[in-house]
Amino acid sequence: MEMKFDGSFDVDLPRNEVFEILSDPRKFAPMLPTFHSMEMKDDRTALVRIKVGIGRISGTASTELTLEEADAPVRARYVGRGKVMQGAYQMISAFDLEAMPNGGTRINWMGETQLVGKILSLAGGGLRGYAEKEINRLIGSLQEGLTPGAELPKAKPKHEGWLARSIRRLRHQDDQPQAAEEAPEGAAQQGAETLAQQPQEVQVIQKEARQRIAQALGVNRQQKPLSRKEDNRLIRGRGLFVDDYKPGGTLHMALVRSPYAHAKILNIDTSAADALPGVFCTLSGDEISKQCQPFLQIGPEPCDAIKDYPLAVGKVRYQGDPVVAVVAESLRLAQDAVQLVEVEYETLDVIITCEQALQNDVLIHEEMGTNTDWQGVYEYGDLDKAFSEAAHIVKIDKLHFHRFGSTAVEPNAVVATWDDSLGGIDYLANTIMTIPITMISMALGVSADRIRLRTHDIGGSFGNKIGNYPYMALAALASRKTGGRPVKWVETRSEHMQAGSQGSERSYFDTEVALDENGVITALKSRHVDDCGAYPRYEPLGCVIWSQVLPAAYKLRNMRIDFSQVVTNKGPAAPNRGYSRLPHMWFMERVVDICAHKLDIPADEMRLRNYIRDFPYETPNGCVYDSGDFVALLNKAKDLIGWDEWQQKREKAKKEGRLMGIGIGTTLDSGTNNFGQSVIVNPDSPFSGNAVPAMIKLDIDGSVSVAVGSFPHGQGHETVVSQVVAEELGITPEMVNVAVGFDTARNVHSGQCGTYASQFAVTGLSAVHGATEMLKKELKELAAFSLEAAEDDLEFGLGDMGPEVRVKGTDRGINFWALSNLVNANSARLPQALRSLNLNCRYTYRPPFEVPDPESKFGNLTLTYAMQTHLAVVEIDPHTGQVKILDYGIVDDCGKMINPMIVEGQLHGGAAHGLGAALLENLPYDESGNVLAGSFTDYAPITINNVPKLKLDHMESPSPFSYNGAKGMGEGGGAPLHAISSAVQDALIDKGIIVRGSHCSPNRIFEMLQQPDGDQVVTVERRA
Amino acid sequence: MSDEAQTVSVEISINGSRYQREVEPRLLLVEFIREEVGLTGTHIGCDTSYCGACTVILDGEPIKSCTLFAVQADGGEVITVEGLEQNDELHPIQQAFSQHHGLQCGFCTPGMLMSSLALLAENPTPSEKEIRKQLGGNLCRCTGYQNIIKAVQAAAKTMQEG
Repeated sequence: MEMKFDGSFDVDLPRNEVFEILSDPRKFAPMLPTFHSMEMKDDRTALVRIKVGIGRISGTASTELTLEEADAPVRARYVGRGKVMQGAYQMISAFDLEAMPNGGTRINWMGETQLVGKILSLAGGGLRGYAEKEINRLIGSLQEGLTPGAELPKAKPKHEGWLARSIRRLRHQDDQPQAAEEAPEGAAQQGAETLAQQPQEVQVIQKEARQRIAQALGVNRQQKPLSRKEDNRLIRGRGLFVDDYKPGGTLHMALVRSPYAHAKILNIDTSAADALPGVFCTLSGDEISKQCQPFLQIGPEPCDAIKDYPLAVGKVRYQGDPVVAVVAESLRLAQDAVQLVEVEYETLDVIITCEQALQNDVLIHEEMGTNTDWQGVYEYGDLDKAFSEAAHIVKIDKLHFHRFGSTAVEPNAVVATWDDSLGGIDYLANTIMTIPITMISMALGVSADRIRLRTHDIGGSFGNKIGNYPYMALAALASRKTGGRPVKWVETRSEHMQAGSQGSERSYFDTEVALDENGVITALKSRHVDDCGAYPRYEPLGCVIWSQVLPAAYKLRNMRIDFSQVVTNKGPAAPNRGYSRLPHMWFMERVVDICAHKLDIPADEMRLRNYIRDFPYETPNGCVYDSGDFVALLNKAKDLIGWDEWQQKREKAKKEGRLMGIGIGTTLDSGTNNFGQSVIVNPDSPFSGNAVPAMIKLDIDGSVSVAVGSFPHGQGHETVVSQVVAEELGITPEMVNVAVGFDTARNVHSGQCGTYASQFAVTGLSAVHGATEMLKKELKELAAFSLEAAEDDLEFGLGDMGPEVRVKGTDRGINFWALSNLVNANSARLPQALRSLNLNCRYTYRPPFEVPDPESKFGNLTLTYAMQTHLAVVEIDPHTGQVKILDYGIVDDCGKMINPMIVEGQLHGGAAHGLGAALLENLPYDESGNVLAGSFTDYAPITINNVPKLKLDHMESPSPFSYNGAKGMGEGGGAPLHAISSAVQDALIDKGIIVRGSHCSPNRIFEMLQQPDGDQVVTVERRA
Repeated sequence: MSDEAQTVSVEISINGSRYQREVEPRLLLVEFIREEVGLTGTHIGCDTSYCGACTVILDGEPIKSCTLFAVQADGGEVITVEGLEQNDELHPIQQAFSQHHGLQCGFCTPGMLMSSLALLAENPTPSEKEIRKQLGGNLCRCTGYQNIIKAVQAAAKTMQEG
C-alpha cells in the first residue's frame, strides 16, 4: 500500500537557514511530532526512536532516517525505514526550497509512505486517513519548529453530540506524546502511566457518557413474551456460532492464498513457518493430493475431469486460491506463520470474461480440454413457425447479470475433529445442507455415516455457505495431522470476498423475441453463458435450476435457450439467494420491458397482455405453477404506491427535464427442489425427488420434543415448528421443545436435508406434520387403552394436568406424562398389543415428483411457486448518475402464510439484498484477475441508510400441492433487480438508453448517459 | 513474531467485573472480550470496522472493538451485549428487537443492540433519520432494516414511559 501527499507552506527564515536545519538529521529529527530520542549512525543517518500507535499504546519503534539528497540550498530528501506492528514501512520526505521576495522561504514538501504487512489488514481503509493526519502533524510540527514563537492550534471543548466528543477525545489521545514532550525532563520516561492519564476535560466527558449509559441501563424493566424462541439466546449474546465454540485443545488454521489469478506454483518453502514455536504443522497441495481424492464433480464429461482439491495443486486458478494451510496454537501465531511461507509463482495469462473463456486460448483446467464445463440446449415449441408468423421481431445485443454475493455477516467457519472413537470426523460448521457430507466422504474416504455434522446458530448464509466444504475437508485433514486435535478455521472477510461469497454471473447473447401485432410475445431464442469462476463445485446445477422458471410470468410457449457454463480465473461461485432463477427472471423482465419500449406499449400494459392467467399452469418444459394471480398482484402493488399519481408526477418531471422512472418487477420464488432435475445436467446423477425427515417424541417427563432435518440460519424454524406442533396437539408453543440447528446424530438425516431452495414451509413442515400424525396415533392407542374408550372418541388438548388426550366433551383424560410413563417406565402394565409403541416417531416427507426426461429436458422441477410484484419509483441525478428511490412497493403471494411476521421479515431481507445488488454491490475484477472489492469497504453491502421504507401487502393463493397450502418463499426471486432496471430504463428511455446490465451504479448510469447506444443494441424488425 | 512478542498488563472492566490480563500489544479489544474473558456475544464480521457486529460501549460511547487494541481500553469500562440484562430481566431494547422481529440470524444483533443503546442514552426520542444515521455503521443482511427501525422506535417509547 502506497500513499503520497504533498503541499507547501511559507516560513519567515531565509532559505539558507531553512536548508541548514532541514539538511541536518540532528536538527530535523527532533522536529518529528513523535520524536522520542536519537543517536547518529553516521553524518547522514540517524537512528531515531519514535513513539508509535494510537492513544494509549506506549511503545516506541526504531527508524533509520537517512538524508539521501542534500542539494544546498534548494533541496533535502530523507528516507526513513523501520518495522512496526508486524509490518514494515518506508517514508520518503522531500523538501524543495524557494526563496521568497520578502526574505522568507516557501517550502514545497512531498511525503510518500509505503506500508507492508499485517497492519494493513488491521487498519484497512482507515489507514489513509491516519497517514494523512500523521503527515499533517509532521508538517505542522516543522512549521512550528521553523517559526520561533508560533503556537499550534489546540482543540477546543464544545458540548455537541457523542461523535464530536469522541473525535475530540481521540485528538487528545493523539496529542498525548506532545504533552509529554512539553512536560519537565524525565516525565516522558514514565511511559504508559503518563500516557494512560486523561486530561481532566476528557475525564469529565467520559463520566457524563458513562452516566448516560448507566441511566439508559437503569430504566424500568417489564418483561413481555418474546416473539421467537431463538430470540431468547440471540438477543442476550448467548447464541453459539462456530467461532464461539472452542473445545479443549483447539488449534487454529490460517491459509496462505494466492495473490495471482492464474499461476504455476514453482516452489513452496514452509520451513520458516514450521520452525515458529507454536506452529503444529503446515499442509500443502502436494501433500494432501496424496491423502485424498479430488472432490466429486456434479457435471459429467468434460467437467468430471477437473481435479479440485482443498488446496491448489500445481497451479492456482483465482486470486485467493488456498495454497498452504498453517495450524498453530493460536490464530495470531497461525497468521504470523502464514507470513513466513514463501511461494514462488510463474504467472500465466488470465481469463476474466466469458468471451475470453469461450475462445479456449488459455485453459483453466487443462485436463478438461476446454473452458466450457457444461452446455445444453433447452428447446420447446415451434420456434421457426413462431418467428415466421411474428408481427415484430426484437433483437437484443448482449445483456449482462453482474457478479455479487449475498455475503452473510458471519463468514464461513468450521471446527473439525478427526475422531478415532467415531472412526471419522466430528464437525461443528456453518454449512447449510448435507451435500458437503457427500463431498467430504468421497474425497477423504470416510463413510458418510462416520461424519457427524452439527450446526448450531448460523449467522446467515443465503446459499453461499454450501461452498464451505473444501475448507471443512481441509480442517479435517489438519486435525488428523495434529493427532486429532480440534482444528478451527474462520474465514476473514477478505477471504470471503475473494473466495467464499460470489454468485455466478450470466451473459445473454443474440436474443431474438417474436411478438404478434398486439405485443404478445410468442417466441424467444437466446444464448446464455454462466461464469462460475475457477471451480464449478455446486454450480453445474445452476445450468438447470433456472429452467424452473423458464417462461417467468409469461405465457409464451416457444423458447430456445442455448445454455452453457464456463470457468474463468475468478473466485468459485456458490449459490446465491435466488440461485440461478434470479438471473433468468431478470433477463425475462428486461426482455419484456425492452419490447414494451420498442413497441411503444406501456410496461404495465405489456405485462397484462403477456401474463399467465390460469393456474395450475404447465410451462413448456413441464413445470407446474401451482396457484396465483399476476394481474391481481400488479393491481394491488399499484394501489400500494399510488400508481396513477406517480405517473402524473413522472410526466411533470419529464416536462421539467428531470429523469424520473417507474419500474415493475414480477418474479417467482420456486420452492422445494426435485433433485431429479440433476439428470438434465448429468444423466448419471444418483439424485432425484426430495426427502426431508422430522422426528417427534414424548420424553420421559411427557414433554414434546421435535428435531427437523433443516439447517436454519435466521428463518426461525424453532418458532414455526413449535407453532405448528402446538396447533396439532392442542397445546401451546412453549410446551414444544425444538432442537437447535441440525445434527446427523439426531437421526433426522437424509441426503437432501438443509435450508435452501425455499422449501422449509413445505418440506420441513410436511415432515413435522407427518411425524406428529404418527405420534398422535400412538398416543390415541395408549389413551384408548387407559381410558377404556374408542380412539374415535378421543381429542387432544390442555387439561388441568397439562397436555392430555381426553374423551371428547368430557373431563375424562390422561396427560402426556402418564402416557409416556406407560411406555418408558411402567411398561409391565402395558398390554402385549401395545408394546411395539415407541412414542418416538420419524417421518420422511417425499414430494410427489418423478424423474424428468434428460433428453427432452421435460418434467416438473419444483413443487411450489411463490410470487412477488415489486414497483420502484426512482429519480436519477443526471450529473452523477445516482439513483434515488422515491417509492417502493411489494406485494407477495406465498400461499398460506404460516407465520406472517417471519414471512414479512424474509420479504424485507430479500428486498434489501436485491436493492443492494441493483444499486451498490458488485464484485468486479481487473484484467489481471484482481478482485476489486476485497473488503466490505469496497463492496459496500447495503446499509440502513440505503434501504428505503418498503411498503408491503399480501395475497394468499393456497398451494394445492402442500398439505398446509404454504409455498416456500425465502429466496424472494430478486425482484428489486428487475424493478430497478425497469425503473432506470423508464427514466432514461428518452435519452436513447437501454439498460443492459443488472448493476445500476452511478458509474454505470453516468457512462450510459455519456454514450447512449439504445438504437444500436436493440433493433426491431416489423413484419406487419 | 512470537519470539519477539512482549506482553503488556491491562485491566479492563467489562459489565462491571474487572479483568486483569497480560496481553500482546496487538491483541484487539474484541479478542480480549471473546478470548481472554470468554464473552462471545460480541462478534467479528469484517475486520475493517464496516459491519459493526463487534460494537460495544467503552467509557460511555459505542466503539467497534475490532479496530481498537485491548491496550487502548486499559483502565476503561466496557459494556457488552451480556451487560444489557440485569437480574435475568431483559432490557427494553432487547425486548423490542424480539417483539418487532428486528433480528433473524442474530449475528449482527449484539452490535445493533449496543449502538441502539448508545443512541437512546444520548437521544431518548430519535427520529427515523437519526436512527438510520446512528445505525449506519451496523450491517444486517437478514432484516432489510425495516423492523430494526421499528424496534428502536418502540424501545425509545418504552424507555421514555419508564
